[in-house]
Amino acid sequence: MMPYSLLLPTSVIAGFVGAMSGMGGGVVIIPALTFFGLPIKKAIAISIVSVIATSSGSASAYVRDHLTNLKVGMFLEMFTIAGALLGAGITVGANQQALFILFGLILLGSWGTLFLRRHEEWTPAPRQDGFSHWLELQGSYPDKALGKTIDYRAERAYLGAPLMFGAGLVAGLLGIGAGALKVLIHDLVMGLPPKVSTTTSNLIIGVTALAGTSVYLAHGLIDPGLAAPVILGVLLGSFLGTRLLVRLHNQTVRHFFLVVLAVLGLEMLIRGLRGL
Amino acid sequence: MEIFVGYVLLCGTLLSAALLIAGLLWRWRVAELPELHYAIAGTNLFQFLISNLHQIRQATFHPQFLVNLGIAVLLMTPYLRVLTSMIYFAFVERNAKYTVFTGFVFAVLTYSLFLR
Repeated sequence: MMPYSLLLPTSVIAGFVGAMSGMGGGVVIIPALTFFGLPIKKAIAISIVSVIATSSGSASAYVRDHLTNLKVGMFLEMFTIAGALLGAGITVGANQQALFILFGLILLGSWGTLFLRRHEEWTPAPRQDGFSHWLELQGSYPDKALGKTIDYRAERAYLGAPLMFGAGLVAGLLGIGAGALKVLIHDLVMGLPPKVSTTTSNLIIGVTALAGTSVYLAHGLIDPGLAAPVILGVLLGSFLGTRLLVRLHNQTVRHFFLVVLAVLGLEMLIRGLRGL
Repeated sequence: MEIFVGYVLLCGTLLSAALLIAGLLWRWRVAELPELHYAIAGTNLFQFLISNLHQIRQATFHPQFLVNLGIAVLLMTPYLRVLTSMIYFAFVERNAKYTVFTGFVFAVLTYSLFLR
Protein backbone atom coordinates (compact mmCIF):
# COMPACT_ATOMS: atom_id res chain seq x y z
CA MET A 1 0.00 0.00 0.00
CA MET A 2 1.12 3.48 -0.81
CA PRO A 3 2.92 5.13 2.09
CA TYR A 4 1.23 8.27 3.34
CA SER A 5 4.42 10.20 2.83
CA LEU A 6 3.97 9.67 -0.92
CA LEU A 7 0.21 9.95 -0.95
CA LEU A 8 0.11 13.57 0.12
CA PRO A 9 2.58 15.02 -2.42
CA THR A 10 1.04 12.89 -5.19
CA SER A 11 -2.35 14.35 -4.34
CA VAL A 12 -0.98 17.88 -4.34
CA ILE A 13 0.39 17.31 -7.84
CA ALA A 14 -2.93 15.80 -8.93
CA GLY A 15 -4.84 18.82 -7.65
CA PHE A 16 -2.43 21.21 -9.30
CA VAL A 17 -2.63 19.41 -12.65
CA GLY A 18 -6.39 19.21 -12.36
CA ALA A 19 -6.87 22.87 -11.62
CA MET A 20 -4.59 23.88 -14.49
CA SER A 21 -6.05 21.52 -17.09
CA GLY A 22 -9.77 21.49 -16.33
CA MET A 23 -9.61 17.83 -15.45
CA GLY A 24 -9.98 16.08 -12.13
CA GLY A 25 -6.52 14.81 -11.33
CA GLY A 26 -7.43 11.17 -11.88
CA VAL A 27 -4.77 11.10 -14.57
CA VAL A 28 -2.23 11.26 -11.73
CA ILE A 29 -4.09 9.56 -8.88
CA ILE A 30 -5.30 6.37 -10.53
CA PRO A 31 -1.95 5.17 -11.91
CA ALA A 32 -0.24 6.15 -8.64
CA LEU A 33 -2.69 4.20 -6.49
CA THR A 34 -2.82 1.14 -8.73
CA PHE A 35 0.97 1.14 -9.00
CA PHE A 36 1.06 0.63 -5.25
CA GLY A 37 -1.39 -2.22 -5.41
CA LEU A 38 -4.79 -0.71 -4.72
CA PRO A 39 -7.55 -2.55 -6.63
CA ILE A 40 -8.67 -0.51 -9.62
CA LYS A 41 -12.27 -0.06 -8.43
CA LYS A 42 -11.12 1.44 -5.14
CA ALA A 43 -8.63 3.64 -6.98
CA ILE A 44 -11.42 4.93 -9.20
CA ALA A 45 -13.58 5.57 -6.12
CA ILE A 46 -10.83 7.64 -4.49
CA SER A 47 -10.21 9.39 -7.80
CA ILE A 48 -13.85 10.38 -8.12
CA VAL A 49 -13.86 11.81 -4.61
CA SER A 50 -10.68 13.71 -5.46
CA VAL A 51 -12.37 15.11 -8.58
CA ILE A 52 -15.01 16.66 -6.34
CA ALA A 53 -12.23 18.15 -4.25
CA THR A 54 -10.35 19.53 -7.29
CA SER A 55 -13.55 20.86 -8.76
CA SER A 56 -14.83 22.62 -5.65
CA GLY A 57 -11.38 23.80 -4.68
CA SER A 58 -10.46 25.34 -8.01
CA ALA A 59 -13.95 26.53 -8.90
CA SER A 60 -14.19 28.42 -5.62
CA ALA A 61 -11.34 30.57 -6.90
CA TYR A 62 -12.18 30.66 -10.61
CA VAL A 63 -15.82 31.59 -10.05
CA ARG A 64 -14.82 34.50 -7.86
CA ASP A 65 -12.24 35.50 -10.48
CA HIS A 66 -15.13 35.67 -12.97
CA LEU A 67 -13.45 33.19 -15.30
CA THR A 68 -16.07 30.46 -15.21
CA ASN A 69 -19.15 30.78 -17.41
CA LEU A 70 -21.95 29.50 -15.22
CA LYS A 71 -24.59 29.42 -17.96
CA VAL A 72 -22.48 27.44 -20.40
CA GLY A 73 -21.63 25.10 -17.55
CA MET A 74 -25.19 24.54 -16.36
CA PHE A 75 -26.65 24.18 -19.84
CA LEU A 76 -24.13 21.55 -20.85
CA GLU A 77 -24.27 19.85 -17.45
CA MET A 78 -27.85 18.78 -18.15
CA PHE A 79 -26.58 16.57 -20.92
CA THR A 80 -23.44 15.40 -19.16
CA ILE A 81 -25.21 14.25 -16.03
CA ALA A 82 -27.87 12.40 -18.00
CA GLY A 83 -25.15 10.65 -19.98
CA ALA A 84 -23.15 9.85 -16.86
CA LEU A 85 -26.06 8.18 -15.08
CA LEU A 86 -26.92 6.22 -18.18
CA GLY A 87 -23.27 5.21 -18.59
CA ALA A 88 -22.94 4.11 -14.98
CA GLY A 89 -26.17 2.15 -15.36
CA ILE A 90 -25.15 0.17 -18.40
CA THR A 91 -21.59 -0.38 -17.27
CA VAL A 92 -22.43 -3.95 -16.32
CA GLY A 93 -22.90 -5.12 -19.87
CA ALA A 94 -20.18 -3.03 -21.44
CA ASN A 95 -16.83 -4.29 -22.64
CA GLN A 96 -14.54 -2.10 -20.56
CA GLN A 97 -11.31 -2.98 -22.30
CA ALA A 98 -12.59 -2.01 -25.72
CA LEU A 99 -13.96 1.20 -24.26
CA PHE A 100 -10.63 2.19 -22.75
CA ILE A 101 -8.91 1.62 -26.07
CA LEU A 102 -11.58 3.55 -27.93
CA PHE A 103 -11.51 6.38 -25.43
CA GLY A 104 -7.71 6.48 -25.57
CA LEU A 105 -7.86 6.74 -29.36
CA ILE A 106 -10.47 9.50 -29.21
CA LEU A 107 -8.33 11.47 -26.78
CA LEU A 108 -5.18 11.01 -28.83
CA GLY A 109 -7.06 11.93 -31.99
CA SER A 110 -8.35 15.08 -30.34
CA TRP A 111 -4.86 15.77 -29.12
CA GLY A 112 -3.68 15.58 -32.71
CA THR A 113 -6.31 18.06 -33.86
CA LEU A 114 -5.49 20.48 -31.10
CA PHE A 115 -1.76 19.98 -31.59
CA LEU A 116 -1.97 20.94 -35.25
CA ARG A 117 -3.68 24.16 -34.24
CA ARG A 118 -1.43 24.91 -31.31
CA HIS A 119 -0.02 28.08 -32.84
CA GLU A 120 -3.43 29.56 -33.55
CA GLU A 121 -4.30 32.26 -31.07
CA TRP A 122 -7.85 32.19 -29.78
CA THR A 123 -10.04 34.81 -31.44
CA PRO A 124 -13.66 35.69 -30.68
CA ALA A 125 -16.29 34.15 -32.92
CA PRO A 126 -17.41 36.55 -35.68
CA ARG A 127 -21.07 35.71 -35.18
CA GLN A 128 -23.15 33.49 -32.98
CA ASP A 129 -25.89 31.08 -34.06
CA GLY A 130 -29.44 31.78 -32.91
CA PHE A 131 -29.67 28.88 -30.48
CA SER A 132 -26.53 29.84 -28.61
CA HIS A 133 -27.69 33.42 -28.53
CA TRP A 134 -31.07 32.39 -27.11
CA LEU A 135 -29.18 30.42 -24.46
CA GLU A 136 -27.39 33.65 -23.45
CA LEU A 137 -24.00 32.03 -23.90
CA GLN A 138 -22.01 35.19 -24.24
CA GLY A 139 -19.73 36.51 -21.59
CA SER A 140 -16.57 38.30 -20.69
CA TYR A 141 -13.73 37.72 -18.29
CA PRO A 142 -10.85 39.73 -16.87
CA ASP A 143 -7.57 38.40 -18.28
CA LYS A 144 -4.74 39.11 -15.85
CA ALA A 145 -2.08 38.12 -18.37
CA LEU A 146 -3.34 40.61 -20.93
CA GLY A 147 -4.50 43.17 -18.42
CA LYS A 148 -7.92 43.68 -19.99
CA THR A 149 -11.40 42.23 -20.21
CA ILE A 150 -12.05 39.79 -23.04
CA ASP A 151 -15.49 39.41 -24.58
CA TYR A 152 -16.52 36.13 -26.14
CA ARG A 153 -19.55 34.32 -27.49
CA ALA A 154 -20.00 30.58 -27.29
CA GLU A 155 -21.36 29.03 -30.47
CA ARG A 156 -22.68 25.70 -31.75
CA ALA A 157 -24.48 24.79 -28.56
CA TYR A 158 -26.64 22.51 -30.75
CA LEU A 159 -23.50 20.43 -31.30
CA GLY A 160 -21.95 20.88 -27.89
CA ALA A 161 -25.01 19.50 -26.10
CA PRO A 162 -25.19 16.03 -27.69
CA LEU A 163 -21.40 15.75 -27.54
CA MET A 164 -21.55 16.50 -23.83
CA PHE A 165 -24.07 13.71 -23.46
CA GLY A 166 -21.53 11.43 -25.09
CA ALA A 167 -18.80 12.72 -22.80
CA GLY A 168 -20.97 12.01 -19.78
CA LEU A 169 -21.74 8.54 -21.10
CA VAL A 170 -18.04 7.75 -21.44
CA ALA A 171 -17.30 9.14 -17.99
CA GLY A 172 -20.09 7.07 -16.48
CA LEU A 173 -18.91 3.93 -18.21
CA LEU A 174 -15.23 4.30 -17.39
CA GLY A 175 -15.35 6.21 -14.12
CA ILE A 176 -12.97 8.83 -15.46
CA GLY A 177 -12.37 11.37 -18.13
CA ALA A 178 -15.27 13.75 -18.34
CA GLY A 179 -13.00 16.73 -17.78
CA ALA A 180 -10.76 16.15 -20.79
CA LEU A 181 -13.69 15.79 -23.15
CA LYS A 182 -15.42 18.80 -21.66
CA VAL A 183 -12.45 21.06 -22.22
CA LEU A 184 -12.14 19.76 -25.79
CA ILE A 185 -15.81 20.44 -26.52
CA HIS A 186 -15.68 23.89 -24.92
CA ASP A 187 -12.58 24.75 -26.93
CA LEU A 188 -12.87 23.05 -30.34
CA VAL A 189 -16.65 22.98 -30.75
CA MET A 190 -17.98 25.97 -28.86
CA GLY A 191 -15.13 28.41 -29.32
CA LEU A 192 -14.58 29.42 -25.73
CA PRO A 193 -11.24 30.99 -24.79
CA PRO A 194 -8.93 28.36 -23.22
CA LYS A 195 -9.07 29.92 -19.76
CA VAL A 196 -12.87 29.85 -19.79
CA SER A 197 -12.93 26.31 -21.24
CA THR A 198 -10.70 25.01 -18.49
CA THR A 199 -12.32 26.80 -15.57
CA THR A 200 -15.88 26.03 -16.66
CA SER A 201 -14.95 22.38 -17.01
CA ASN A 202 -13.51 22.47 -13.49
CA LEU A 203 -16.80 23.68 -12.08
CA ILE A 204 -18.88 21.08 -13.84
CA ILE A 205 -16.82 17.94 -13.31
CA GLY A 206 -17.63 18.15 -9.61
CA VAL A 207 -21.33 17.74 -10.27
CA THR A 208 -20.79 14.86 -12.68
CA ALA A 209 -18.40 13.20 -10.24
CA LEU A 210 -20.91 13.53 -7.43
CA ALA A 211 -23.47 11.64 -9.47
CA GLY A 212 -20.86 8.93 -9.98
CA THR A 213 -19.78 8.85 -6.32
CA SER A 214 -23.15 7.49 -5.26
CA VAL A 215 -22.47 4.20 -6.98
CA TYR A 216 -19.13 3.79 -5.23
CA LEU A 217 -20.53 4.88 -1.87
CA ALA A 218 -23.34 2.39 -2.25
CA HIS A 219 -20.88 -0.42 -2.83
CA GLY A 220 -18.72 0.59 0.14
CA LEU A 221 -15.74 1.18 -2.14
CA ILE A 222 -14.67 4.50 -0.65
CA ASP A 223 -11.82 4.11 1.82
CA PRO A 224 -11.97 7.15 4.13
CA GLY A 225 -8.50 6.55 5.53
CA LEU A 226 -7.13 7.01 2.01
CA ALA A 227 -9.64 9.63 0.96
CA ALA A 228 -8.79 12.04 3.78
CA PRO A 229 -5.13 12.74 2.90
CA VAL A 230 -5.92 12.63 -0.83
CA ILE A 231 -8.66 15.25 -0.44
CA LEU A 232 -6.40 17.50 1.61
CA GLY A 233 -3.53 17.20 -0.85
CA VAL A 234 -5.78 17.80 -3.83
CA LEU A 235 -7.37 20.87 -2.26
CA LEU A 236 -3.97 22.38 -1.61
CA GLY A 237 -2.73 21.52 -5.09
CA SER A 238 -5.78 22.92 -6.83
CA PHE A 239 -5.57 26.12 -4.86
CA LEU A 240 -1.97 26.57 -5.99
CA GLY A 241 -2.96 25.74 -9.55
CA THR A 242 -5.63 28.42 -9.63
CA ARG A 243 -3.14 31.06 -8.52
CA LEU A 244 -0.93 30.17 -11.48
CA LEU A 245 -3.54 29.78 -14.23
CA VAL A 246 -5.02 33.26 -13.81
CA ARG A 247 -1.62 34.73 -14.56
CA LEU A 248 -0.98 32.73 -17.71
CA HIS A 249 -1.80 33.50 -21.33
CA ASN A 250 -4.56 31.51 -23.02
CA GLN A 251 -1.99 29.81 -25.26
CA THR A 252 0.02 28.54 -22.28
CA VAL A 253 -3.12 27.13 -20.68
CA ARG A 254 -3.93 25.35 -23.92
CA HIS A 255 -0.41 23.93 -24.21
CA PHE A 256 -0.52 22.62 -20.67
CA PHE A 257 -3.83 20.95 -21.45
CA LEU A 258 -2.28 19.38 -24.55
CA VAL A 259 0.42 17.71 -22.48
CA VAL A 260 -1.99 16.34 -19.89
CA LEU A 261 -4.35 15.21 -22.66
CA ALA A 262 -1.59 13.20 -24.32
CA VAL A 263 -0.68 11.54 -21.02
CA LEU A 264 -4.32 10.68 -20.32
CA GLY A 265 -4.83 9.29 -23.82
CA LEU A 266 -1.79 7.04 -23.51
CA GLU A 267 -2.86 5.91 -20.03
CA MET A 268 -6.30 4.93 -21.33
CA LEU A 269 -4.81 3.05 -24.25
CA ILE A 270 -2.42 1.15 -22.01
CA ARG A 271 -5.17 0.27 -19.58
CA GLY A 272 -7.31 -1.08 -22.36
CA LEU A 273 -4.49 -3.12 -23.84
CA ARG A 274 -3.32 -4.46 -20.49
CA GLY A 275 -6.81 -5.39 -19.48
CA LEU A 276 -7.27 -3.35 -16.32
CA MET B 1 -24.08 35.66 -8.39
CA GLU B 2 -20.64 34.50 -9.04
CA ILE B 3 -19.29 35.86 -5.81
CA PHE B 4 -21.97 34.06 -3.83
CA VAL B 5 -21.52 30.72 -5.61
CA GLY B 6 -17.78 31.11 -5.15
CA TYR B 7 -18.22 31.56 -1.41
CA VAL B 8 -20.49 28.52 -1.11
CA LEU B 9 -17.72 26.49 -2.73
CA LEU B 10 -15.03 28.10 -0.62
CA CYS B 11 -16.86 27.55 2.68
CA GLY B 12 -17.63 23.95 1.77
CA THR B 13 -14.04 23.11 0.91
CA LEU B 14 -12.57 24.95 3.91
CA LEU B 15 -15.01 23.30 6.33
CA SER B 16 -14.31 19.90 4.81
CA ALA B 17 -10.55 20.46 5.04
CA ALA B 18 -10.81 21.66 8.65
CA LEU B 19 -12.80 18.57 9.66
CA LEU B 20 -10.38 16.23 7.92
CA ILE B 21 -7.33 17.89 9.44
CA ALA B 22 -8.95 17.82 12.88
CA GLY B 23 -9.79 14.15 12.47
CA LEU B 24 -6.29 13.23 11.36
CA LEU B 25 -4.63 15.28 14.11
CA TRP B 26 -6.88 13.63 16.70
CA ARG B 27 -5.87 10.26 15.37
CA TRP B 28 -2.23 11.31 15.58
CA ARG B 29 -2.67 12.14 19.27
CA VAL B 30 -4.31 8.83 19.99
CA ALA B 31 -2.19 6.56 17.80
CA GLU B 32 1.37 6.75 16.51
CA LEU B 33 0.53 7.97 13.06
CA PRO B 34 -2.15 10.19 11.54
CA GLU B 35 -3.41 7.23 9.55
CA LEU B 36 -6.83 5.68 9.61
CA HIS B 37 -7.91 2.35 8.25
CA TYR B 38 -11.58 1.62 8.21
CA ALA B 39 -14.39 1.21 5.75
CA ILE B 40 -17.68 2.91 5.07
CA ALA B 41 -20.45 0.38 4.62
CA GLY B 42 -22.54 0.57 1.47
CA THR B 43 -24.87 3.50 1.82
CA ASN B 44 -26.02 6.63 0.06
CA LEU B 45 -24.92 10.16 0.82
CA PHE B 46 -27.97 11.28 2.78
CA GLN B 47 -27.91 8.19 5.00
CA PHE B 48 -24.20 8.70 5.50
CA LEU B 49 -24.76 12.29 6.57
CA ILE B 50 -27.62 11.44 8.90
CA SER B 51 -25.82 8.55 10.59
CA ASN B 52 -22.89 10.87 11.25
CA LEU B 53 -25.11 13.55 12.74
CA HIS B 54 -26.73 10.90 14.96
CA GLN B 55 -23.31 10.37 16.48
CA ILE B 56 -23.37 13.91 17.80
CA ARG B 57 -26.53 13.12 19.71
CA GLN B 58 -25.14 9.89 21.09
CA ALA B 59 -21.84 11.60 21.93
CA THR B 60 -19.78 8.65 20.75
CA PHE B 61 -16.75 10.34 19.33
CA HIS B 62 -13.90 8.90 17.34
CA PRO B 63 -11.54 10.55 14.89
CA GLN B 64 -13.46 8.60 12.23
CA PHE B 65 -16.47 10.75 12.98
CA LEU B 66 -14.66 13.94 12.01
CA VAL B 67 -13.18 12.35 8.89
CA ASN B 68 -16.58 10.99 7.84
CA LEU B 69 -18.12 14.38 8.38
CA GLY B 70 -15.33 16.03 6.39
CA ILE B 71 -15.96 13.70 3.46
CA ALA B 72 -19.72 14.18 3.71
CA VAL B 73 -19.31 17.99 3.68
CA LEU B 74 -17.07 17.74 0.63
CA LEU B 75 -19.66 15.67 -1.21
CA MET B 76 -22.48 18.01 -0.26
CA THR B 77 -20.63 21.08 -1.55
CA PRO B 78 -21.37 20.68 -5.28
CA TYR B 79 -24.93 19.71 -4.40
CA LEU B 80 -25.47 22.87 -2.42
CA ARG B 81 -23.76 24.85 -5.16
CA VAL B 82 -26.30 23.68 -7.73
CA LEU B 83 -29.15 24.45 -5.34
CA THR B 84 -27.76 27.93 -4.70
CA SER B 85 -27.46 28.58 -8.44
CA MET B 86 -31.04 27.45 -8.98
CA ILE B 87 -32.37 29.72 -6.27
CA TYR B 88 -30.35 32.61 -7.65
CA PHE B 89 -31.59 32.10 -11.24
CA ALA B 90 -35.16 31.82 -9.96
CA PHE B 91 -35.41 34.68 -7.49
CA VAL B 92 -32.62 37.11 -8.17
CA GLU B 93 -32.05 36.99 -11.91
CA ARG B 94 -35.60 35.78 -12.54
CA ASN B 95 -34.30 33.77 -15.47
CA ALA B 96 -36.87 31.08 -16.25
CA LYS B 97 -34.72 29.21 -18.76
CA TYR B 98 -31.79 28.71 -16.44
CA THR B 99 -33.97 27.97 -13.45
CA VAL B 100 -35.35 25.06 -15.45
CA PHE B 101 -31.91 23.95 -16.67
CA THR B 102 -30.39 24.10 -13.19
CA GLY B 103 -33.51 22.53 -11.72
CA PHE B 104 -33.14 19.60 -14.08
CA VAL B 105 -29.54 19.04 -12.99
CA PHE B 106 -30.57 19.36 -9.34
CA ALA B 107 -33.36 16.82 -9.78
CA VAL B 108 -31.15 14.28 -11.54
CA LEU B 109 -28.42 14.80 -8.96
CA THR B 110 -30.87 14.29 -6.09
CA TYR B 111 -32.12 11.11 -7.73
CA SER B 112 -28.55 9.82 -8.10
CA LEU B 113 -27.83 10.54 -4.43
CA PHE B 114 -30.74 8.38 -3.29
CA LEU B 115 -29.60 5.37 -5.28
CA ARG B 116 -28.51 2.35 -3.40
